[in-house]
Amino acid sequence: MILIIPDILVQYQSEIIETIGETFVMVGVSVAAAVLIGMPIGTFLYLCSKGNLLQNQLVYSILNVLVNTIRSFPFLLLVVFLIPFTRIIIGTAMGTMAATVPMAIIAIAHYARLVEQSLLDVPRGVMEAAVSMGASIPHIIFKFLYVEARSGLVLGLTTSTVSFISYSTIMGVVGGGGIGDFAIRYGYQQFRTDLMMYVIIIMIILVQLIQYAGTTIARKIDKR
Amino acid sequence: MISLSQVSKSYAQYEAIRSISLTVNKGEIYGIIGPSGAGKSTLLRLMNVLESPDQGEVVVNGQQLTSLSQAELRKARQSIGMIFQHFNLLGNKTVYANVAVPLELAGYSRNERKARVMECLRFVGLDHAANQYPAQLSGGQKQRVAIARALANHPQVLLCDEPTSSLDSSTTAEVLRVLHKINQALGVTIVIVSHEMEVIKSLCHRVSVISDGELYDTIVNEPTGVTQLEKTPESFVQKLKERGDSHYS
Repeated sequence: MILIIPDILVQYQSEIIETIGETFVMVGVSVAAAVLIGMPIGTFLYLCSKGNLLQNQLVYSILNVLVNTIRSFPFLLLVVFLIPFTRIIIGTAMGTMAATVPMAIIAIAHYARLVEQSLLDVPRGVMEAAVSMGASIPHIIFKFLYVEARSGLVLGLTTSTVSFISYSTIMGVVGGGGIGDFAIRYGYQQFRTDLMMYVIIIMIILVQLIQYAGTTIARKIDKR
Repeated sequence: MISLSQVSKSYAQYEAIRSISLTVNKGEIYGIIGPSGAGKSTLLRLMNVLESPDQGEVVVNGQQLTSLSQAELRKARQSIGMIFQHFNLLGNKTVYANVAVPLELAGYSRNERKARVMECLRFVGLDHAANQYPAQLSGGQKQRVAIARALANHPQVLLCDEPTSSLDSSTTAEVLRVLHKINQALGVTIVIVSHEMEVIKSLCHRVSVISDGELYDTIVNEPTGVTQLEKTPESFVQKLKERGDSHYS
């Protein structure tokens, strides 16, 4: 099969490649933040919830409200609201690196909630068996919880990644760039509707690939 | 081996266990029977402090579990095996990996683990299933894997919570035979909680009857042994007829 690439995509080839690269940076940092920070927070939320090993109403309530607050911000407002904070961390509020700050923060809150939900699916009996064997909290987390919840954790990360791509499209407001911003600036604002359509198709394909990969992996590692 | 003295446990307003004292001797099979909701499972969970008593003392193997630190309690639990009605195996780990877990917790090296896991699986007759996942096994096989897992770290005591209540009669016999063998060959003290009279009578040396959170009575029992259950069509016909006779005679 011969793939026919429309002229307009060839014309904007270098911009498209560059902006896809920016999207990958923003989404990549978000995924890393989700896994490295969101997952521990989600695990802690689960462990502190009622009837669990570290049951602590106060800690749970604080974390719960924090996660909800971040997730209830309209994302555009969160980006603007965080500008002073971004300046402190990155040194500037503009550009792709600056855009990764609000992205990472929404990513942490988003995935923490999904991790908590996945862990709630681990049967109580398995936790009881773990405690009866004399497992410590780190052992329970890594040898029991994450083992039994791994499919849900992968599916959750897949869902999150798709959301992160969507979030990344508005990072143009702080000069973050990305393929979504490209579609708006060239396709919409310069009336190149066909260019916008092609970019949308590229993004659909990207999301399909991510979802397919996530679903396949989750199914493969589920032996229950 | 296990001694509870005047232990009580309440949930909110509800008294699940009311000042029960009992002693399980080394090497015996001890039964706990009673209707559902009587507090049998809670009583069993007090023996490894999965439920901590509001009052009273729990002593297992010379250690007072109720006064240990968290770390000491974890260490003590590593020598108290436990099996459950719903097996509670890790569905995402193979049979081999499930049995290896308590050895990893106890800090065995990889080679030591391997030898011990296979030894335990051979003991329950499932060494051929080492690389299968629990979902591929029957209920009786799953419970035998759970027993192998509970045995892995050389426990002195094995606590069994309704070990056969989700199994049919032939797989029940298969599990009970393994429990009997553990007691005979390894000298492990076993406590069995069950609502099934047949199970208790077949194995236990002494039996406590629990009612409404209180110890009603303790009976010395001569184990009747695990009877081989026949599954031939003739035996079914015969059993059906037997019942009919007793009804009309």
